[in-house]
Amino acid sequence: MADREIREVPPAAEDGERADEPEQEGVQGALRRRLTETTTWTFLILLGIVAGFAALRFEQFATVFNFRNIAADASGLMIIAVGMTFVIITSGIDLSVGSVLVFAGVIAAKVMEGLGGDGWGAIGAGLVAGLLAGLAWGVVNGVLVTKARVPPLIVTLGTLGMALGSALLITGGIDVRGVPLELTTTIGIGRLWGVPYVVIIAAVVTAIGAVTLSMTRFGRYTYAIGSNAEAARRAGIDVDRHLIKVYGLSGFLAGMAGMVSLARFATTTIGGHSTDNLAAIAAVVLGGTSLFGGIGTVLGTVVGVFIPAVLQNGFVILGVQPFWQQVAVGAILIVAVYIDQLKRRAQERGGRR
Amino acid sequence: MSEPLLEARGVTKSFGGVRALRGVDFAVHPGEVAALVGDNGAGKSTLVKILSGTLAPDGGEIWFEGRQVTVPNPVAARELGIETVYQDLALAPELDPAANLFLGRELVRPGPLGRLGFLDKAGMRRRTNKAFADLGIGLQDTGAMVANLSGGQRQSVAVSRAATWVSKVVFMDEPTAALGVVQSARVRDLIRRVRESGIGVVLISHNMPEVMELADRIEVLRLGVRVARFRAADTTMEQVIAAMTGALGNEDVA
Amino acid sequence: MRRRWLLGLVAIALAATACGGDDQGGGGGGTQQQYKLTLIQGVKGDQFYVTMECGAQEAAQAAGATLDVQAPDEFDASLQTPVVNAVVAQKPDAILVAPTDTKAMIPPLTQAKDAGIKLIFVDTTTENGAELAESEIASDNLEGGREAARTLAKLTGEKGSVLVINVKPGISTTDARAKGFEEELKNYPNMKSLGVEYSNDKPEVAAAKATAALAAHPDMVGIFGTNLFSAEGAATGMRSAGAAEKVKIVGFDAGPKQVEDLEQGIVQALIAQKPADIGKAGVEQAIHALKGEPVEKKIGTGFVVVTKENMNNPDVQPFLYKSNC
Repeated sequence: MADREIREVPPAAEDGERADEPEQEGVQGALRRRLTETTTWTFLILLGIVAGFAALRFEQFATVFNFRNIAADASGLMIIAVGMTFVIITSGIDLSVGSVLVFAGVIAAKVMEGLGGDGWGAIGAGLVAGLLAGLAWGVVNGVLVTKARVPPLIVTLGTLGMALGSALLITGGIDVRGVPLELTTTIGIGRLWGVPYVVIIAAVVTAIGAVTLSMTRFGRYTYAIGSNAEAARRAGIDVDRHLIKVYGLSGFLAGMAGMVSLARFATTTIGGHSTDNLAAIAAVVLGGTSLFGGIGTVLGTVVGVFIPAVLQNGFVILGVQPFWQQVAVGAILIVAVYIDQLKRRAQERGGRR
Repeated sequence: MSEPLLEARGVTKSFGGVRALRGVDFAVHPGEVAALVGDNGAGKSTLVKILSGTLAPDGGEIWFEGRQVTVPNPVAARELGIETVYQDLALAPELDPAANLFLGRELVRPGPLGRLGFLDKAGMRRRTNKAFADLGIGLQDTGAMVANLSGGQRQSVAVSRAATWVSKVVFMDEPTAALGVVQSARVRDLIRRVRESGIGVVLISHNMPEVMELADRIEVLRLGVRVARFRAADTTMEQVIAAMTGALGNEDVA
Repeated sequence: MRRRWLLGLVAIALAATACGGDDQGGGGGGTQQQYKLTLIQGVKGDQFYVTMECGAQEAAQAAGATLDVQAPDEFDASLQTPVVNAVVAQKPDAILVAPTDTKAMIPPLTQAKDAGIKLIFVDTTTENGAELAESEIASDNLEGGREAARTLAKLTGEKGSVLVINVKPGISTTDARAKGFEEELKNYPNMKSLGVEYSNDKPEVAAAKATAALAAHPDMVGIFGTNLFSAEGAATGMRSAGAAEKVKIVGFDAGPKQVEDLEQGIVQALIAQKPADIGKAGVEQAIHALKGEPVEKKIGTGFVVVTKENMNNPDVQPFLYKSNC
């Protein structure tokens, strides 16, 4: 091995001479990197899809009415996917989100029903109860993953069953429908300056998530643990405590999505969330987050949420048979991950200077 | 000779049925390079992990600057002023060099933003660039992920991380293993510079010529105990190797 | 190079799906106005809705209108809402829809009405169906439930305890059937109701609840399944419990599987609705509404009681449900 190193002509950068230039190279390098990131590519695919549908059915697809509905319909998934982004970046996974969403909705609805009346007191208490329920399941996930050392796939598969089962036990399998009307008419379908409240909530959650992930210590620890947990540990980071926080965040956001769903539909929609977990994972991966951890962004997840949402909407407008929609979304997921793999392999080969 | 900066006395450690350290002693003094050598399985890496807080010993004592201490975790080691360059580098591949340099010690923005944990990325990058410049390491793209750097560049990042933060003792486990000629020379320069500033350097290496060139003293481990101590100036490579294989032992040489 | 390929591929894929979709012909160019109708079913893959689609397609062709069909993956308001929203964006002239919840579907359907689209509710309805829709077309489910009670009573010699397996509360049709059944059952003093269990429109849940009820009440002699999946599941449950002889089952809806069960004697009677008639009436009323002609606000379609004995009669046969048109 030593022989090879000697024959290797050290590139200019390795001489002391270029040591004072790294700043300038950094800017160019950063720009090049931005342009080739997976997020950029999936964003272009999303633009392509939007442009395509707009070209085919302009007056029907490209309207404020339609985009507003797409955003409102995607708001619950967006909230869940933000939490899932953090979890997957730590190279973990959370399959329980759909069930936790339902469970939180059930708790909130029961509290509101129990406290009676239509006042904001009952509504507020119910919402808080729902959020806490989501947080609780998240913490359970985190503790089992870190202290009991059970792999996240197994832990969250277990809590998926337990949360949904508990919800079914509490309700006897029947959707709770005694949700105060005010919640629905204001947050559920109400708008602020033309933007639905649920979209505003999802946007705020997304913004906070994006800033936290990219600009704070919490975000950096998330990336570090996903990249090399042992290195993080040796650097003095309390990995266990951080993971509990991350899974707790995922559960909390699943609870929030449950509150949004409760507000929109005024019923707990127990049967409608069995594939939310896979949809969230697909959105996160489509957005450029690696299942192996250490890489990903919330902005990418936004793109990943909207690709299937726009596809479903566009296909219905075009009159395509419903089953084709699932085929298309699955195919695009594979293509997006394939592109990502190609890029990574190219980087590895070309990056060694 | 001055008092040892960091000392291990009779440290033991077992993994299941395997006794990796069977009462090992070791010492490093300020301003010296102490080489820790031994064949595979002698217990060098285990001893390093214990002294740097990654592993807990089963028995024995650790002394630091004349007081007995425990090093229960890596943060405790850092607080004592001990830094480590691990054999596996302990870098986060998907983070950039600045992030790795400041891992666990991130700079935050001043004021209320800092209390919320907002990072001072520009500040960290500036300090990192300066550290690299001081050490003569040139990276074309300082924003690149560490995973996209060559093996040699990665090692440079790990070494400069330890060198930047160390104040008392630095452990270097095979620091030039993946480096080319030019970079190895630079790391050796760095080691000498660190020693000059009064820091104790513990060098673990299989590269005997390098050991003979750099070290002031050489301590030999074999099967979990120290079997020989040499002063590099008074020794030959053959004698050291002989001690490693058990043909020679001289525990009484200071 | 590769990247341009990929974008090109995406563009081609979109173009292909555009060709595969129904061509919504642009206005004019003919003596008759071609109306655009869309049918939104309650759930994909349910033969009741497939038969409705067949009846609707026939009527649409006869009237020279186009009919598009969409449906959610599960019978749930949270999944039907995005479908409704997308269909509304498509701006059909009228929507025939089976709302999956009497309350939760009101907001998206109100949006549809506000967008100027005529609504026809087929099968199920919402709490304010009379205001929201031009016409509500369904079987008289209350009467259907009563008919089921009468049929089950006859089969069990008017003695013993019986169970109702319903879908979930909040569905106008099945709730009415369960109600009618319980009402009529009171006329039989020697029969006892074991209450109502919910299958959530899943056959495996229906099967589990049926076998559990049998285990708890060994004297159970009959089950009424208020919709296709509930009846199918109950039958499966009784068959695997080996109680197919002992427990008489009356189901609602006559899909191919139920008819098979009927033939094999696992189910004794089916109350078949006339979904094709519902679909046909839906299209007809939609066209009336669009032409500004008078519309029938409420239409009740009838039932046929199907048994092993009469299932091949020419006046019963056409009412068995189809799996495809």
